[in-house]
Amino acid sequence: MTRWAMVVDLRRCVGCQTCTAACKLSNGTTVDVQWRKVLDMETGEFPDVRRSFVPVGCMHCEDPPCVEVCPTTATRKRDDGIVTMDYDVCIGCAHCVLACPYQARYKVTKPKYGYGEASQHEVENFDPAKIGVAQKCTFCVDRIDDGRKKGLIPGVDPEATPACVNSCISDALSFGDLDDPDSKVSKLVESSKTFRMHEELGTGPGVYYIWGAGS
Amino acid sequence: MMKSVNKDDIKTYDTYCYQCVSGPEIVTVTVKNGVATQISPCHRAGEVHPGGGKACVKAFGLIQKTYNPHRLTTPMKRTNPKKGRNEDPGFVPVSWDEALDIVAEKFKSVRAKGALDESGYPRLAASLGGGGTPLSYAGTLSALFAAWGGPIDFSFGSGQGVKCTHSEHLYGELWHRGFTVCPDTPNTKFVISFGASTETASGVCGVKRHADARVAGMKRVQVEPHLSVTGGCATEWVPIKPKTDAAMLFALVNVVVHENARNRLDLAFLKDRTSSPYLVAPNGFYIRDPDSEKPLIWDEATASAVPYDTEGAKPALEGSFTVSGIETGADAETWTHNNVECKTAFQVMLDQMKQYTPEWAGEICGVDVRKIRALANEYLDNAGIGKTIEIDGQILPLRPVAITLGKTVNNGWGGYECCWARTMMACLVGALEVPGGLLGTTVRVNHSARDRRLSVEPGPDGLMYFPFNPTDKEKWVSDPDQRHAGRMLVPLVGNSGWSPALGPTSLAWAAQIDGSQAKMPEMTIPEIWVTFRTNPVVSYWNTDKLADAVAKFPFIVDFAYCHDETNHFADILLPEGTDLESTQITRIGGTKFVESFWRHQGFAVRQAAIEPLGDVRDITWISTEIAKRAGILEAYNTAINKGALSVPLRTKVYDFSLDPTKEHSVDEIWDAACRAASAEVTKGEESDGLDYFKEHGYRVSPFPQVNWYLTPTLIEKGLRYELPYQERLLRIGAELGNRLHEKGINWWDKQLKEYQAIPTWHNFPGIWEDALEEAFDCKIGDYPFWLMTARSMQYSWGANAGIQMIKEVADNIAGHDGFIMNTGRARELGIKDGDMVEISSPNGQVVTGAAVLRQGIRPDCMLMLAQFNHWKTPLAKDFNNMPSMNRLIPMLQDTIDATGSGADLVRVQIKPAGGSR
Repeated sequence: MTRWAMVVDLRRCVGCQTCTAACKLSNGTTVDVQWRKVLDMETGEFPDVRRSFVPVGCMHCEDPPCVEVCPTTATRKRDDGIVTMDYDVCIGCAHCVLACPYQARYKVTKPKYGYGEASQHEVENFDPAKIGVAQKCTFCVDRIDDGRKKGLIPGVDPEATPACVNSCISDALSFGDLDDPDSKVSKLVESSKTFRMHEELGTGPGVYYIWGAGS
Repeated sequence: MMKSVNKDDIKTYDTYCYQCVSGPEIVTVTVKNGVATQISPCHRAGEVHPGGGKACVKAFGLIQKTYNPHRLTTPMKRTNPKKGRNEDPGFVPVSWDEALDIVAEKFKSVRAKGALDESGYPRLAASLGGGGTPLSYAGTLSALFAAWGGPIDFSFGSGQGVKCTHSEHLYGELWHRGFTVCPDTPNTKFVISFGASTETASGVCGVKRHADARVAGMKRVQVEPHLSVTGGCATEWVPIKPKTDAAMLFALVNVVVHENARNRLDLAFLKDRTSSPYLVAPNGFYIRDPDSEKPLIWDEATASAVPYDTEGAKPALEGSFTVSGIETGADAETWTHNNVECKTAFQVMLDQMKQYTPEWAGEICGVDVRKIRALANEYLDNAGIGKTIEIDGQILPLRPVAITLGKTVNNGWGGYECCWARTMMACLVGALEVPGGLLGTTVRVNHSARDRRLSVEPGPDGLMYFPFNPTDKEKWVSDPDQRHAGRMLVPLVGNSGWSPALGPTSLAWAAQIDGSQAKMPEMTIPEIWVTFRTNPVVSYWNTDKLADAVAKFPFIVDFAYCHDETNHFADILLPEGTDLESTQITRIGGTKFVESFWRHQGFAVRQAAIEPLGDVRDITWISTEIAKRAGILEAYNTAINKGALSVPLRTKVYDFSLDPTKEHSVDEIWDAACRAASAEVTKGEESDGLDYFKEHGYRVSPFPQVNWYLTPTLIEKGLRYELPYQERLLRIGAELGNRLHEKGINWWDKQLKEYQAIPTWHNFPGIWEDALEEAFDCKIGDYPFWLMTARSMQYSWGANAGIQMIKEVADNIAGHDGFIMNTGRARELGIKDGDMVEISSPNGQVVTGAAVLRQGIRPDCMLMLAQFNHWKTPLAKDFNNMPSMNRLIPMLQDTIDATGSGADLVRVQIKPAGGSR
């Protein structure tokens, strides 16, 4: 089996938003839609304060609440763990937007461009299928599937790897097959202290956060 | 590399992003149906690029930057001769012929009068954006400047000297060829960072290196008034009062030298590689051998004073000795001494630092005394005296400790002291310019920027040569050749191509606003001002008055991207291609700014991935046309042949020079440059031109890692670092004072006090407070907050303020949609998160912004990120929540230090403005 997963090394992330920008360009998301973004979090009180940068997006859960509430099966989970959206089937009810505990989903009812009217690149990148439906991070599923057809390895070969992971300048983001013990993500999870976001909800997120070296 | 993915409509091109000083990075542009649609990392370049071929967030904004509908895509001329912020320039589109003829005629008519005006100032002035990166986009503009054939005034800065790391630039380069300075991050273990913006301003290389080091166990302690992005990535945050860093650094030195055993120091390094053993005579200059005039040291083997380079001598590091010899002070004043007490330079330092205890510093800095002491000892614990590492087959010392400084720490008063103390801390444990320690990355006052080791030449007294501007009576530059008088006032800026940008740029602007200083030539306005990728009207200080000054400039040519605050005053706008629309090559690799350490060096190409929008033209074409129409084509081509494009077209090894009498196309020019670059990289074996670079993106040769470290070169040449004692600076300062006073100039006297042999603490925050009170007749207590700034990776250097996507993603980071203040303090004042607040400076200026409440900032401080307050730039002018400090900071000479540098720092008061974000 294959379980595609992402590992975020919080020791590395600097909050630069390069992944946010790369995702926006690569997926042609409209203004204010950020399938991937980095939160700037502060804990503690002056002068004992910590500041952390936490990349977030769809967690590609094992038991995704969004799938459960979807009345049309537009949202599905593949056997390899990727939670997909079928824009042709989605009716835009937005139940999934409300159900997602990670606030990872968006619904855009009309296109919004950077400067009002569509610029040339926005015309080329525009995907009308995303209007009026739910949308979210797909782990760049097309890259993964196309890459695999070419014999490439997601998480190893850039052409088959999510754009955010490719772009990450601090190597905070890693991607790969968690069922492959030799994959980078498996080794990182094995050798590090990790958590998954809101694990108590039982969603089984496919995104692991490293917060320290393993013992 | 250009390759056809789908021969019908999709192509990819490799090009570079050099929007910030920490670049360049090589990126891949995807062009679909002739439209650039994607930017992605050039993973193939990971074979040579230390950051894995990746680029930061700014590069991803290049697509929107290209297709921004606010771009100017046709030349324009002003029709309203009245200039002012509230005047409509009445720009109308004109043909390229008309625009170029206007510019060329102006060039010709002004040049015919002579390069210098009646005051001796250049008639032509030019301003480029920060960090020198605009030159990697300027095509052949530098050849056009060379063809002008006379001095050009580069002193109208857009932030140079006040928003860079200016003290580090000058003192760092003096002491260890460190125009910028950083840890040897891959090998270091312990870093104390005083406000360095590593995670926002050290580029992809720096971010990657520090992330790797953190995971490998490096500890970094961030000492700064607010918890920056960099602080967030650090192991620990130590909040310190603004501008008190020198006190804490002195205390670190104090703990190391007065609370620890000597054998914890690298005594061999101090004795052999620094001037620590040199003996200091009663008047503060070295005591010298009467015959050779060499400084004397105390030889413990013979119990006598001997010249510093006496073979077999065992130098005393500390102590006071009875010595005879001569002493030479300023202007060759000489004293002869018989049996006088002379301390070693190291001893003078010990005595000076004794007063600066952690207890003393703790009160000044607002930092726990135990923390200061612990950090100093942890630094020593990690220094690893005696350890070595093999680099490229050479066994070198390994000293994995470093102290780094941020821009407000080493800009303006206190910068000298901070730079000295952190460099001294490196010397004490032998961590200067060795693996794991403190490294310089590049030189700009010295040559060669390609390899700073080549700048290590013997100077006087066994020290490295440094090209000080002369201060003796005969050669002193008594009449300024730039409006900021850099060579006249600042010996340290030297006389390189970069020197004009390193002078006191605020003096040039201040003189335009307030008139010339006493005993100086009457201040004049440049007859032509050329601006390229710069916007000083919002990015400098005292911006309202600066705008009024610019309004008086009679003829301004701007290479325009869109309407902005500076070209609002222009006469001609020449729209040049953006990063994706033009062609040129730039140098990559070696060691460059901040943390750009490569194991390769060579060239990368910027290629036109798309057809230029509208009637936009390649800047090389524009420059050639101006040169041709102004009648200086031959000089222009000659400059190109000589190396104005960063590589000479003719050497002893190759000749790709252009016929200087003919006009050459953009591709012809850059093809020749590419051939020269190929020949340089391959030592003359290859001569591939532009097509090769377009296909491959870059061409490099190895640059050994051992070249990152300067100490092996000093050992090879038998030279010493000039620390701790600054005899040369003491002498130069005294001579400069003599020259200025002979000319009747007393207005630089405060700055002259910085020339100290061993630095001392001054009330640095008080300098700002006193200057504000005196200038504006206010009570500083009425302005209870220190206002500071910090770098933003998303915006810094990028000219990105008008790019919507950059704004959108930057807003995810606190402070990009308002100003930051302490949550608890805000509550006391009844201010809630998002409330609009008026912020006032003693200079009478007021800005309004939304409060962003954070715990990670001292209660007595406020922070405004980056540089905004646009009033013309489309999109950016509507950032109503986002205030800028630039209107609030006056240009006061009292806040300018001896290097001509100031700091982004002012006291402010606040009051609710009503409403919220």
